[in-house]
Formats: sequence, structure tokens, C-alpha cells
Amino acid sequence: MPTITIDGTEYEVPEGRMVLQAIDDLGLLMNGVDIPHYCWHPKLTIDGSCRLCQVEIEGMPKLQIACNTPVANGMKIHTKNDRVLAARQGVMELLLINHPLDCPICDQAGECKLQDYAFQWGVPESRTREPRRPAKKAVDLGPTIVFDQERCILCRRCVRFCREVPKTGELGVFNRGDESLLEVFPGSELDNPYSMNVADICPVGALTTRDFRFKIRVWFLDDVKSVCNQCSRGCNIVASRSNNNVYRFVPRRNDAVNETWMCDHGRMSYKLNAQGRVAAPRIDGREVSFTDAVKRAAELVRATLDAKAKIVGVASPFASNADLSAFRDLLTKLGAGSARFSVPRGEADDVLIEAEKAPNAAGCRALGMTESSDPVGRADLALVLGHTTTAEVFGDVGNIVLVDSHESALSARAAVVLPARTFLEKTGAFTNSRGLVQKFAAVVEPDFEAWSEADTLAQIAAAAGIS
Amino acid sequence: MIVEPYVKNYLSEHYGDDAYRTLAGYEAKGGFAGLKKAVALAPEQVTELVKTSGLRGRGGAGFATGLKWSFMPKTSDRTKVIVVNGDESEPGSFKDRLIMERGPFEVLEGLLIGAWAMGAQRSYIYVRGEYAEAIRALESAVAELYKKKLLGKNILGKKGFEHDVVVHSGAGAYICGEETGLLESLEGKKGQPRKKPPFPAQHGAFGLPTTVNNIETFAHVPFILERGVEWFKSRGTEKSPGTTLFGVSGHVERPGLFELPLGTPLREVIGHAGGVRGGRRLKGVMPGGLSMQILPPTELDVPMAEEFLSQKGTHLGTGGVMVMDESVCMVRVATVVSYFFRDESCGQCTQCREGTAWVHKLCQRIEQGRGTEADLGLLTDVPKPMEGQTICAFADAAAWPIQGLLRHFRSDFEAHLSEKKCPFPESFEL
Amino acid sequence: MRPETRAEIESLFERYPQKRGALLPAIYLVQAEKGFVDAESTRELAALFEIAPVEVHEVLSFYNMFYTEPQGRHHVYVCTNLPCSLRGARTLLAGLESHLGVHGGGTTRDGRITIGHEECLGSCGTAPVMRVDGRYHENLDLGAARRIVDELE
Repeated sequence: MPTITIDGTEYEVPEGRMVLQAIDDLGLLMNGVDIPHYCWHPKLTIDGSCRLCQVEIEGMPKLQIACNTPVANGMKIHTKNDRVLAARQGVMELLLINHPLDCPICDQAGECKLQDYAFQWGVPESRTREPRRPAKKAVDLGPTIVFDQERCILCRRCVRFCREVPKTGELGVFNRGDESLLEVFPGSELDNPYSMNVADICPVGALTTRDFRFKIRVWFLDDVKSVCNQCSRGCNIVASRSNNNVYRFVPRRNDAVNETWMCDHGRMSYKLNAQGRVAAPRIDGREVSFTDAVKRAAELVRATLDAKAKIVGVASPFASNADLSAFRDLLTKLGAGSARFSVPRGEADDVLIEAEKAPNAAGCRALGMTESSDPVGRADLALVLGHTTTAEVFGDVGNIVLVDSHESALSARAAVVLPARTFLEKTGAFTNSRGLVQKFAAVVEPDFEAWSEADTLAQIAAAAGIS
Repeated sequence: MIVEPYVKNYLSEHYGDDAYRTLAGYEAKGGFAGLKKAVALAPEQVTELVKTSGLRGRGGAGFATGLKWSFMPKTSDRTKVIVVNGDESEPGSFKDRLIMERGPFEVLEGLLIGAWAMGAQRSYIYVRGEYAEAIRALESAVAELYKKKLLGKNILGKKGFEHDVVVHSGAGAYICGEETGLLESLEGKKGQPRKKPPFPAQHGAFGLPTTVNNIETFAHVPFILERGVEWFKSRGTEKSPGTTLFGVSGHVERPGLFELPLGTPLREVIGHAGGVRGGRRLKGVMPGGLSMQILPPTELDVPMAEEFLSQKGTHLGTGGVMVMDESVCMVRVATVVSYFFRDESCGQCTQCREGTAWVHKLCQRIEQGRGTEADLGLLTDVPKPMEGQTICAFADAAAWPIQGLLRHFRSDFEAHLSEKKCPFPESFEL
Repeated sequence: MRPETRAEIESLFERYPQKRGALLPAIYLVQAEKGFVDAESTRELAALFEIAPVEVHEVLSFYNMFYTEPQGRHHVYVCTNLPCSLRGARTLLAGLESHLGVHGGGTTRDGRITIGHEECLGSCGTAPVMRVDGRYHENLDLGAARRIVDELE
């Protein structure tokens, strides 16, 4: 492995990498070795045009862009001497002369790389008296993205993204020189299942999501690590919260799972947390207290056990590993055999979206549960988690005790319904399709009483006298 | 149109003869003797020969041609490509046009010698779209070569020596004269230069090993092969052998082309063009096209070769000599120059895209009498991040002329500041 | 695009290792039909070259000699770069625009001529020069330029 020196410190770096890639591989980029950059992105092809990542390399008379210079053993790199700082300042000044003073109304403020780098490495005062180039403001580029052409610094990340990841290639740069403009083909739109990623990678507020527009300032947000639950990929995410509300999901980098991306559907699924919830426990459709519902559920379990009648357990691939484990243990104690579960399926693609539309079918399988959408058959009591196994399948079942977060046809049919916490309201883990166990942490508290499936089952077991 | 230079030498000797544009006419004057000598040598020997000759590229960069040829991989399971840069767009430069229109076979013979030396199987001659006549002349010459089996397979009866030529038209963009900008344009994209690495010899046109050479560079090659290295080196200077077609334009009596040995003093070159028109006084000369720094009248003795011009803070470029007499306002010149670079910037690199526009706006402001001392300061500062810090040398080429004008003619700029208008009423209109 | 144009474009593919190399020649061929390349032609070219329409439009917008808007029947472009300006090209252009009644460049009302300026045409030794469609007219003065332009139909 080659050894390079950066600002006097030696580093062993992987072979065959560009300097910027190598520093990123070591986890040090902007985290110990600060080389600001715009056009480079770890998961896109190299561009080389922003010129911000210029560094001085001993033995090379001109400054070199770190993003396109291959590492060589013995290379000595300087990232913060006067010459490099002057070059950086030159680039920053020239980027700002046409950039509109939109910070007060721009969503990007607070997480804007133009602000950040201008503050740290830019010029203290503007020297330009020239009017700034006018261009399109706040136009819908498609169903998800708002475009402000004046703010664009022409890093072309978005162009490369659309060509290389969803491979839909809707964006281009027209004209040349200072008339260059980011555009779509006239009459067409930016519309692909991954469109909102361009807002993540745009270093400035040129591309922002309509969903997040003007909602909240990012400095009021708190970011909590989680995992998307809309399919078995398990894209790593960050849930941004303020005041016990989730404002958005943003992908979190995981090179083994989702790189730096997530699909629009998953990104928007944060809205599901507040929609259609089972907000109160019910017995035969009547709202009751949690304690009363647990008591009734326990009565049904005790009665079925005493009559030596049939109990069936139906699990959910939306439950966490801990919930599923607790469920299996309880079913064992009840002599109910292994649980069954079903998985909703849909279209998959060759990017991130998988056919299994739930996060933890693998978790169910790992615990020996059986996948089935067949009718449950004759049973006196069904203990059911979630509603991925749909109501019709329970035709021959006596009573259903349902622990679920969201309303469905099944919750209307169940004898007892108990509100469950979603993955955003508890700590846990899902196992993705590749067998990776991924943890998530609680982001918000429900504003009604709800417990995890595991905790609810424990309460029922206790009330039914099952140890 | 110009049919031949006012002063001729080996290259342009027969340009005045229409028959020279036919294969028979070209061969009658000794054409293809060079190629025949080349194929009698091993390919590496031909490259060595060109190296030893000291031939420097005539496209503006002056890079050693033989050395460039030696960068091509020696063996390759991939097709090797030669690209001929006929995108001549440097203001002040009009020599390649003449060579293409009047001596197309020189270029093709040189190209074939290069093909033999480098083992290249195909060539693209990229000609700027505006040069309709040159394109016609080249296409006609290429067609004749195919008919006479000097293109295609088994050229000159040599088994395995095969070569195909395509003449390809540009579409109006100066930046397509930049080596990798040209390759991008050839591939059907915007002519935006590429970052290096990778280099064209490894990954060039369509990803294939490629060598790019200028029209005039190839035109000299047959003469070097035919008449020998010593003959070639006996003309010109030690570091810059041979002749070139100097184009003289602007305020001279007899603007046109002059084939002279490299190293001819600038004074002499201007003298061939009849000196400054109307007996007026010389104010300034751009010796190498619009991109190269202007020289004051005190520097007329400089030999016109890169090694001497660079000592005077400028460059040979394409030898486009633009003469300006005492009527000329150098701030207007700066405005014309900076407009050109603003218009032609490809727009990729931050400093070039924004810097060329800012420089033009500053020049305009000063020229219109609305400039301040601060603007002059900016005109000095803004070009600095444009030098040596971009993907290609366009930004350098945009920075240099402004720096040169400020260096030698600062008083013109200051007069605009103090008088709040152009103090040169006789200057050309903007 | 006309079938003949399409056939001619397809015959160019074999000249390049990748078919996209034929895009610039193809655009010239399509442009010859109407004098400019409209949105429909852009989409047809995109389909033919198996690239996105936006990529074709990028190319159209980058090059001076490609037009995405209707043009006058004739193009008249006067070079106004430095060597030509030194020999009066800008004064000539102003005079010519005045003669045509199109100030600041543009197309005559009868659609006959689009006039404007261009960068260096490689004719510095015979300046001033103008390009009329595919032909150069060199060593111009305003009288000669007017005569040439008046003969365009």
C-alpha cells in the first residue's frame, strides 16, 4: 500500500485511488483532512471542473486537483499553505459573483456548502459591482424538485447522478461560458424514482425538495439515525426531527447497503408515521383503556388455552427482531407452533428498490417463521402482529387479537386492537435481504399510549398468567 | 481569398499552382517521395527521425512532435487513431486554412507518414465548420487517394499498411481547437476539454490511443522525410527548426501570409508586410495570436521563435502577428479581446467561466468611462486564479493578453479613468 | 426528418467507432431541411443516436453554427474580432445592419437575411471579411458588402 504525506502526516492509502478518494476511504475527508470540493462525489464519476479541491503536490509545478490525481508512494501533499489557500479563495470569490444573495429565503441555509466554504476559505468582502446574471427562480423541475437556476454553481453532480444512478438522464447543461445553464429538455421534467437525491447532492439551494420547502430551518432539526422500512433493502437514513415531529428522511451513507442514496418512495414514507394510526385500544370496536384491552386479550388467550383450542400466531415483517423474538417465545409457550407471516411484494429495480415491500422478512425467516398467504384455516384465536396478512385470510378464525400501528380492514375485524409503536418510536433492528442486521433508534414519541409489540405481548402474557 | 503567401519557402512553394491540389500535380512536384522513404524504414525509425529533426507542433503549444508520436503505445490490440487539428480559430491565425485549401496533399502525406510511424489505422481531420472551401479541398484529395490506393488497404503495396481518413466538420466553437475539446466534439458531444489523466495516447478519440497534431505540423513532415533532418535543421533556430507561415494582419500595408524561417526577427516579418500602414507609428504588436501577450515597439528585434519570445513574457503561439498603430486605443483592444474569451469559454471551470465574464465587464466599464481605480485593481487580480489552475489552457490564454495590455499600456487605461471617456478619437470603432 | 436524411445519417455510422461520432454531421443534415433543428427533430435525432433529447439539445446549444430557432433564408456574419476590427469591420457591420434595417443583429422582417457578428473566421490577411451562408467574401468595403447582400434572394 502506498504511503503519502499530507500536511506533514503520513498515511497508508489504498492502491489505485485518486487522492480525494483515498482520503475518503480513510474516513478523513472533511474530518481531519479538509479539502473542500463541490463537483466530486464519492459515488459519481469524477468531473474536475469546480477547481476547489486544488492542492499543492511537491514535485508538480502547478496545483493539482485532488479528485483526479492518482496517489503515488512518497507523494507529499499540502492542503493549507498560502498558495493553496489563495487558489481556494480565488475559486470561492468567482463562484460568489453571480450567486444571488438568497440565504434569507433559501432552504439550504445551514447545510449549504457554499456558505460553509465561503465562511471558512472565501473572501471577506465582495468586490464586484456587476449585476448578477438573472435566471429561472423557483420553478418546478418535476413533481418533487424545485429549481432555482440562479443559485446553481454548475458542479454538474445532478447531471451525472441522473445519468449514472437511475440512468434517466433528464438533466443537461446548455450553452457555454457564463451563459451555461442547468436545464431539462424543454417540455420534459425531472421525474424518476430517485429524483430527490439531487437535492441531497446539490451543494447549494439550486435543487431542493418541494416537500421540505419553507417548512423549517435546518438548525432547528435534530438528526437521528434510522433505517427505512419500505422494502427489504434497508436503506440507512437519518430522520430529522424537531418538537417531536419528523420533518424529513435523508439517506445516510452505507457503502454496503445504499451507498449515499434512497428512493423517493422511501424518503417520503416519513409521512406515514402520522397517518392512519391506531390511536386507541379497542374491544369489539369500542375504545377502551390499554389496561382493559390487555385484560380482554389475556382472557381470550386463557380461555383458548383452557379449552385446548387452536391458537395461531401471525407475525409481521414490519416488526423488529426483538418483537419477533418475543412473539416466537410466547407462541412456543402457548403451544401454538411457529408463526406464519406474509410479505407484500411489488416492482423491483436494479438500483435500490427490492421486491419485498417490508424491512424484516429476513428476520421472520431467521426465527423459523413460515411465509404463507394461504387461509389461516380453522382456529379459535389468532394473535396477529400488523396487517400484511390481510383480513380475508382469517375467514375461519374465531377471535383476532391484533397489535398494529396502522388501521386496516383487519383492525375493523379484530376483537381486540392494541396500538403498536412504529420503528420511529422505538429502538430495534431489522435484518435486510442480504442478512445485515441494522439498528434504528427512537426518533419521536407517539402522542397516545402505544407499546412495542414485544412489550404488549409481555403484558398480555403476564395478565394471562403465562410465565 | 489568399492563394499563396507573399513570401514562399519549401512548404508553400507551389500553393499558387492549382494543379498542386490534384494528386498528379502534387506528385509532379515531388509529392509522396517522403512517404516512400518512410515506409522503407521501420516505424520506430521514422519516429526517431522526426524527433531528431526537432519539429515542434505548429498549433500554438510548440510541443516536440516526435516526442508526442513516441507516446503512442507500440503495439496495441486496439485501433490507433490520428486526429488532425484543423480547427484554426485563433484570431490572427489564417495559415492552416491556406495549407488545407492549397496544399491538402502535404497534410495527407504527413498524416500517412505518421500513420506508418505510429501504427495508426485511422485518422480524423477535424476542420472548423466555417472553412467550407478547405473541407472541400481535403475531401477531394482524400477521394483521389482512395482511388489511387494511397488510402485503404495495402498502401504502397505494403501488406498490413492500411489507413482510413474521415474529414469531419466542426460547428463553430473555438474551444474545439483544444486537443481534448476537439476529441469530445469529434465524439459528438460538447467540446468541453477533458481532465488529464487519462492522456490521449492512452485514452483518446472514442477511448482509443490517439495522437493529435496540427495541420501545419503534418505538412512539414513529408519534407523532413524527403530532404532529410540536416536539411530541415539548417533552417530556423536550433530549438525551433524549419519555417512557418506567419500571418500578418492589422495596420500594415500588405497583410497576408509569409513563409519565413522560425527565428526571423519580428521587425523583418512586419517589414515583409510593408511595415505600418501609411507610415504611421507602431503602438503595439501581438506576435502569436490573440492569446499571447502584446509587445511594445521596443521589442521588435525579438527573433520569432518560442525560446526567444518566452524571454520577453509572451509566446509564439500560431505566429499570428497583429499590428496596431498609434491610433489604437488599447482599452478597446482589451474589450474586444475579453469579449472573445468570454464568448468562447466552454464554461466548465469556475475561474474561466466567471473570470472571463468579469474581465470583459470590467474592460467595458473602463472603456465606457465608468471605471474606477478599484476596477483597474480588479483587472489585475481577477486573471490570477485563471492561470495554471484550470482543466485546459484557455483560461491562461484569456488571462495573458489582459495582463500584457495592462503591463505595457496601463496609461491608456488610466486615461480612460481620468477623462471618463476614450481619449483616442481615431481608434477603431467598437 | 426526411427518409433520405435519415438514410444518409445511418450511412455515416460506420465511419466512427461509436455511432455518436456521427452526431455533428447528422445535425448539419437535419438542419439543412428547415434551416434550424426543432424539438421534434431533436427527439428524432435522440432516438436515432440512442441518447436523451436533452443531450442532443446540449450539443445544439453549445455550437454557434447550430440553430434551434427559425433563421432567415441567408446568414450574413461579419467578423468583428481584433484584426478585422482594426480594419474597420465594426463600422462596416453597423453600416450593413443599417442598410438592412436590422440594428444590433437579427433577422430582416421579410425573413430574407439573418445578420450578425462572428468571431475570427481565419481571414485576417484579407480583412474585413463576412461569411454569407457557406462562402467567404473578403477584402470588403461597405459598398461591396451592400451589393453582395442585395443580391441575396
